[in-house]
Amino acid sequence: MANTSPVISVLTSTLTFSAPLVLAALGGLCSERSGVINIGLEGKMLGAACATGFVTQATGNAFLGMISGLMTAILLSFLHWLLTQTYRMDHIISGMGINLLAGGATALVAKTFSSLGSEKMNAFPVAAYWVMAWTAVFGVYWYLKNSRGGLRLNAVGQDPDKARQMGLKPVKVRFMALLWTGVFTGIAGALVVSNAGSFTDNMTAGRGYIALAALILGGWRPIPAFFACLFFGFLDGVQLQLQGQSLFGQTIPVEFWQALPYLVTILALAGLLGKGSKAPSGLGRA
Amino acid sequence: MNWKLILLTLGAFILIWVAFLVTGVSTVEGLQQMVKGSMGSARGWTGTLREMTPLLLLGIAVFVGLRAGLFNIGADGQFNIGALCGVFVALNYQGPGAIIVALLAGCVGGALWAWPAGLIKAHRGGHEVITTIMLNNLAFFLTLALVKGPLKDPNAQSPTSANVADAAFLPYIFESGNIKISLGWVFGIVAVIGLWTWLKKTVSGYELEATGANPKAAETAGVKTKAVTVRAMLLSGMIAGFAGAIQVLAFEHRFYSGFSPGYGFDALGVALLAGNSPIGLLPSSLLFSVISKGVTSVSLLGVPKGMNGILIGLVVIVFAAMRYRKAVKNDG
Repeated sequence: MANTSPVISVLTSTLTFSAPLVLAALGGLCSERSGVINIGLEGKMLGAACATGFVTQATGNAFLGMISGLMTAILLSFLHWLLTQTYRMDHIISGMGINLLAGGATALVAKTFSSLGSEKMNAFPVAAYWVMAWTAVFGVYWYLKNSRGGLRLNAVGQDPDKARQMGLKPVKVRFMALLWTGVFTGIAGALVVSNAGSFTDNMTAGRGYIALAALILGGWRPIPAFFACLFFGFLDGVQLQLQGQSLFGQTIPVEFWQALPYLVTILALAGLLGKGSKAPSGLGRA
Repeated sequence: MNWKLILLTLGAFILIWVAFLVTGVSTVEGLQQMVKGSMGSARGWTGTLREMTPLLLLGIAVFVGLRAGLFNIGADGQFNIGALCGVFVALNYQGPGAIIVALLAGCVGGALWAWPAGLIKAHRGGHEVITTIMLNNLAFFLTLALVKGPLKDPNAQSPTSANVADAAFLPYIFESGNIKISLGWVFGIVAVIGLWTWLKKTVSGYELEATGANPKAAETAGVKTKAVTVRAMLLSGMIAGFAGAIQVLAFEHRFYSGFSPGYGFDALGVALLAGNSPIGLLPSSLLFSVISKGVTSVSLLGVPKGMNGILIGLVVIVFAAMRYRKAVKNDG
């Protein structure tokens, strides 16, 4: 990359870093707009990345790899549905348990199959994922605004009791919503591993939480959340470009740029940016 | 127990069995080695009690939050900040009472790190889980930048601070052969009793529990719930920061990147399992430390560390399901 202009490389890295965030944030959006708090995006992405990586390496088939990644994320999402809707468990505890479980299981698999993990992986081209991410944003936007299913999802997320009186079954609506959460986080995980070329322990490195932050910054709406993801991706790109360079005669540590998205989110929550919380009002309710 | 819980428990056992199968170690042998390694010898107990110290203290921190209706997922970040403050003070101040000053620094650091979460929750309605997750990541990068930069030990390759002076080591209160019990562990036990007394016998403790149980009712009854929320978060962060300073002075003697292997998250499980009384923190932190020490000892057979996450995740899920079933039933 020595000869490319800094602008081009910042743009490329913005796209590279934001695509998995966009997909994960959409996954979170499906879940949270239906009223299910989902801090388990990280675990689902990690599980999908692990399954995609190792199955692709074992079979040499990128399609099989991606399918197993998707299935893993959908299964974890289904577990979240089961625990929160049937077992009526607190959404945050369930999400945390799933993150612990996924983190542990993927670490165990990565260690056990470490020789397989070093093999070359023929994945789908990353650009295919980018296109998927962008189309999905508009797909979800349109779906929530115009389709019957989208309006139902919203109704359940805003007030599950009223939705029940209207004859909707929140448990069923949320099942479909969490299925889509699994699909989106699954693709996000597959993308993360395809970018890197092989699975490494804890490789999602907090992207699930950044996606959650983007979702909140975007007020739980698809288009603003998309821009928040682009913004976080841009910060990452800028960080790569500015590494080791000094600003006003002072060397800024890399960690400052890495921490910036989190700082922005806290400031946004504190109400210094944006117009305060726009959380779906039925969030976390049975 | 009803059939749903039985199914969930069964599922958890099958997952554990599969996980052992993947590693190639027989489940029975693995579990036996875990029990033997954590509780079968004096050395094992020493390790288990060492693990228990941060888990118990952080469990107390999270528990205080839970009683006030707050999920302090940020205990891990507060722990890291508290540890860093403790190291900083211990490295720069060697006068009288250095240990006490360093512990106080840990408390202050942890409380300050929790403060924004409390303020945002009380005055802006921003969910504390989100803010504390963000604060965790900020703490991670801040401490990393500091041990890579200004606090780095010039003689070390990896990002780590220098070791604190021997005079700042927290002493063992009991030492005989292979059994060693740190003063930090005793602090944990004392803190549990203190917390129990505070919650049950004082007005401010009662106000905290009332706020957690039903904020609207508490507000109507004249409790200043916003102030209570901020105070609960400060107290929770203070204890977590104290735990970090204890970890430094009692065991690690330095701060390095990756200082906490996720104690703050395990502590959420500890606090959750404890039930409604702080006394429950003792058995639940012991269970978690047995699992953690057990997995360390079973790693000699070739079981990766990831087993710890699997076991703790499943314990959290199964026990939470049991408690919430009860809660739903009580609601009618």
